[in-house]
Amino acid sequence: MIDTNYIVYVLLNTALFILISPLYMGIVKIIKARAQGRIGPPLFQQYYNLLKLAQKERVYSKKSSAITRMTPYVNITLILTASLCVPLVFAPFNSGGIGNIILFLYILALARFFMAIAGLDAGSTFGGMGSSREMSVSSVIEPITIIVFAALAYTLGTTDLHQMFQKTSQEMTILNPALILISIPLFIVLIVETARVPVDNPETHLELTMIHETMLLEYVGRDLALMELSHAIKQTMLMAIIINILIPWGFATQYTAIAIAVGMVLFLIKGTLLAAFIGVFESSMAKTRLFGLPNLFVVAFFLSMLTIWLEVFK
Amino acid sequence: MISAALAYSITQALLVLVLITGAFIVTRKDLLSLVSTYQMQSLLLAGIALTLYSVEESPMLLSLAALTLISKVLVIPYIIKKIQKQINIPRDVEFHYISPIASIFITIFLILIVYGAFTNILKDLALSSLFYLGAVFGISLTLMGMLITFSRKKVITKIIGYLTMENGVLLFSLFITELPFIIEVLILVDLFMIVLLATILAIGMDSSIEAFQERFQHLHIEDLQEKLHLHRKHGGAN
Repeated sequence: MIDTNYIVYVLLNTALFILISPLYMGIVKIIKARAQGRIGPPLFQQYYNLLKLAQKERVYSKKSSAITRMTPYVNITLILTASLCVPLVFAPFNSGGIGNIILFLYILALARFFMAIAGLDAGSTFGGMGSSREMSVSSVIEPITIIVFAALAYTLGTTDLHQMFQKTSQEMTILNPALILISIPLFIVLIVETARVPVDNPETHLELTMIHETMLLEYVGRDLALMELSHAIKQTMLMAIIINILIPWGFATQYTAIAIAVGMVLFLIKGTLLAAFIGVFESSMAKTRLFGLPNLFVVAFFLSMLTIWLEVFK
Repeated sequence: MISAALAYSITQALLVLVLITGAFIVTRKDLLSLVSTYQMQSLLLAGIALTLYSVEESPMLLSLAALTLISKVLVIPYIIKKIQKQINIPRDVEFHYISPIASIFITIFLILIVYGAFTNILKDLALSSLFYLGAVFGISLTLMGMLITFSRKKVITKIIGYLTMENGVLLFSLFITELPFIIEVLILVDLFMIVLLATILAIGMDSSIEAFQERFQHLHIEDLQEKLHLHRKHGGAN
């Protein structure tokens, strides 16, 4: 049975995700520019970009098949569905199992699969290279992501993200060592999944360095806008997991308009801070070569294993 | 004063952070961040001692915190950073036997083994889980330091490994058996000695121990021999 609470949640959460995601992308860009001594784009530049792209026409390669035409829509649909797993400011009474992390991870994996075949579809060597890199990186990071989320599930005693957030917001968790530990691998997963330095460089179009951008090269206009929006939403999703696990203050536990409004404002502030931190982190790192990446992943693996043991031996 | 429950949860969080710094020391390759991580680790240890002091109020914990702060957070990292400026090598890329990735996997098993071993030893002592955790992390940190000491080739990373080991011993002694304060001071004197020795050896520090011996023979011993020889000649003439 669908109740109003759930419908409000779906509408509000999705709208929030679409509205604030480009902002966080913009903040990371501004911080990175400032670190390099540039002024950087205006705060709302990402919105202007998306609007501009949305008004432009689509152009497809003659060699491309339906996959290329389909992928932007499939991708945004999958990412928006996944975004329902991650409540930003409040979780509905009865989520009907949408918050399941296994479901969440598989939806993300499916979105990634479509990105990779879309990269291959046009038959350009560039796109194929990007897809191949994306797949090799994800084949290494995915087991680690699973262990990170397993540790999270073990620590909080549930596999449902909605229940996890409700649990963390009700307890004082900032000093829970397991959650401090898990926040570092979660951050590494965020960096890898959103294709940021040191794994990938979102700024360049150099063939040697890029992974994520390569798969988008064939897209222009509305399709590109959708792809970029879904990338931004994916970033906000992973940020929201870190924020609502580690610093959940303001996550509404009562279903009143005031609590939800306060939650939104607080989430905006916390998200801005985390985005600024991502910017600083990216600026202070150099891109690692592809074969140096397992080093980073292993740290994430170590810390999540440690979290599990911390809980097992408690 | 803060409540005991809060103090224990702060300590637990700090303990975990100490182990994270340990893991970073095992994996990092650039020397500057190795020293900074060590500095951070010592600061966390001083923090743990202070938090425990707020509950137990033994003056020894306070003096341990002060001693750690002065020696391991300020003086020793300062000296090591000075050496690093002289030898001017940014990274440690040579390893004996195992790479950092392998060592972090080994570390996971080390912690598990220590846990297993301690469950058997400490089960009769009826310790609170915090002290149990502190002891396990202390010994694990010591073993991690040992791992660094034998897996890295550069002398300066070996020293960081040794310092990490000592931090592990300090951590263990904070939670299980209180070491007599005088022993703690003596260990510190040892640390200073080792860092000072390192400064003296700084000319050869940019190499591995094996290469350093060769260099030592080439540069110093032969120099010395020549000087001795000359001296004898002069002596003979006079």
